[in-house]
Amino acid sequence: MKLTTLFEKGEFVITGEVGPIKGAIHRDKSIEPSCAIEALHLNQHVHAVNVTDNQSAVMRLGSLAASVRLKTNGIEPVYQLTCRDRNRLALQSDLLTAYSLGIDNVLLLTGDHIQLGDHKEAKPVFDLDSVQLIDMAKGLKRGYDISGSRIENYLDMAFGAVVNPNSDPLELQIMKMKKKIEAGAQFFQTQAVYDVKVFEKFIKKVEKFNCPIQVGIVILKSPQMARFMNKNVSGVHVPEELIDEIGSVAKEDRRKKSAEIAGRFVKEVKSMCQGVHIMPLGWTDVVPDILEHAQIN
Amino acid sequence: MHATIQKPIGEIVKHIQPNEKVFVVGCNNCAWKCYSGGDDETEMMAKRLSDRGIEVTGYTAPGPKGMSLCKLDHTRKVLMEEHEEEVKNADSFLILGCGQGVHTVIDATDGGMVHPGCDTVFGGETVSDTHIEEFCSLCGDCIIEYTGGLCPMTLCAKQLLNGPCGGAEDGHCEVDPERPCGWILIYERLKKLGRLELLDPYQPPKKNSKWSRPRSLEVSPTEATFCSIGGKVTVSNQD
Repeated sequence: MKLTTLFEKGEFVITGEVGPIKGAIHRDKSIEPSCAIEALHLNQHVHAVNVTDNQSAVMRLGSLAASVRLKTNGIEPVYQLTCRDRNRLALQSDLLTAYSLGIDNVLLLTGDHIQLGDHKEAKPVFDLDSVQLIDMAKGLKRGYDISGSRIENYLDMAFGAVVNPNSDPLELQIMKMKKKIEAGAQFFQTQAVYDVKVFEKFIKKVEKFNCPIQVGIVILKSPQMARFMNKNVSGVHVPEELIDEIGSVAKEDRRKKSAEIAGRFVKEVKSMCQGVHIMPLGWTDVVPDILEHAQIN
Repeated sequence: MHATIQKPIGEIVKHIQPNEKVFVVGCNNCAWKCYSGGDDETEMMAKRLSDRGIEVTGYTAPGPKGMSLCKLDHTRKVLMEEHEEEVKNADSFLILGCGQGVHTVIDATDGGMVHPGCDTVFGGETVSDTHIEEFCSLCGDCIIEYTGGLCPMTLCAKQLLNGPCGGAEDGHCEVDPERPCGWILIYERLKKLGRLELLDPYQPPKKNSKWSRPRSLEVSPTEATFCSIGGKVTVSNQD
């Protein structure tokens, strides 16, 4: 089901996220890849699960194959597609393939740079940027490829995009967000936010666009992980008080604490947005707790 | 200018066969400014090769200062007339210049064997005597009218045309925290100029056919024709 249908109904849309395995799916269908098992933890708690596309430029199983596996298991996938590894032919072809395989939601992104990953000598493609990718996808929905040729059996998927409320200057990030909406983005998932004030300031500037926004949450697993993100994940900032808070409990209690921290944040911001996108980084089992703390049914 | 950096001497020597006689050619323009192939470096290279037991028949960086090795008629005259004997005695040419210079020597010597002595790294601005920096990627499809003259194809690691990714941190690029985010540079400049509205239009995908190699340019005092896989474009400089 397309997420846009849920937004239109006024649902508070909840999505999770899994990263495909570094390897192939077993031919024995009874053996589930770990990403599918993680996604099963989310079943019944979220509306859909994002499937990342060579996230952090680390080579893995294709997001489409993992998305199709989730769909087969009865979990709605949000297929992520980045510009880093594909030119415009491959991007269009993969979009048509995704639709042909039953995918209803696609998140269209630029992608992390190759220098951040495990294949540093690969050629970065970036034939298109994310705005051009969305515009091109809209063309496929209307029956045209990017060269203007007619296609048969147009695709019909919901197009998601990303935006970073932590960006400075924010005005520049919003300028790009506006271009994405004009190009055909139908909903947004934000980069991880930890500061209510940052999110509030962002929302005040973009509510005029009238485009559904899911606030992005990355679960804080430990003080080390939080510091690692501050140092290595661009565009994310975990405040010191949250690092202290997750560090204040023993290791065995951290899952519980992480759910409390994330849930508390979502509770505070949920009235400002139309959904939440939770990136559990493997801890998919804490997602139900987060939603409970956030008082979301 | 074409920025060049000498290859490590070990790598250069590795490709010269036993008993191969070499003539060293420098460039008195870009490579001179890069200290990779001016008069001094060319003479020094001849000595460095001799010290390693390689026979050098001669050397030159066709002058005067400011003269480019890639000016074919001049290079041909210098190599084939002024250094006729030394060139004749050489089995190959070691070129201390850019890739265009290497090809110029092939043309000037009617197909002589060449060894590149430098890596050609980029086309850049000579910011100072000791600093050269890249501001143009030579893509052939320029959009800097919309970006205050700052090229996102060059200054943005992802070559994004419609604004920044979400990865900048404190104004720096996610790829290299030492370097500024190109899009923030563009934004700050246009803001200062009071021209932020230039960023509003959607920038369509690049015409990569204009970037497809090899390309050529036919020039005359009144018009020029740019030839690429994307076709020929002729523009007058008179109308």
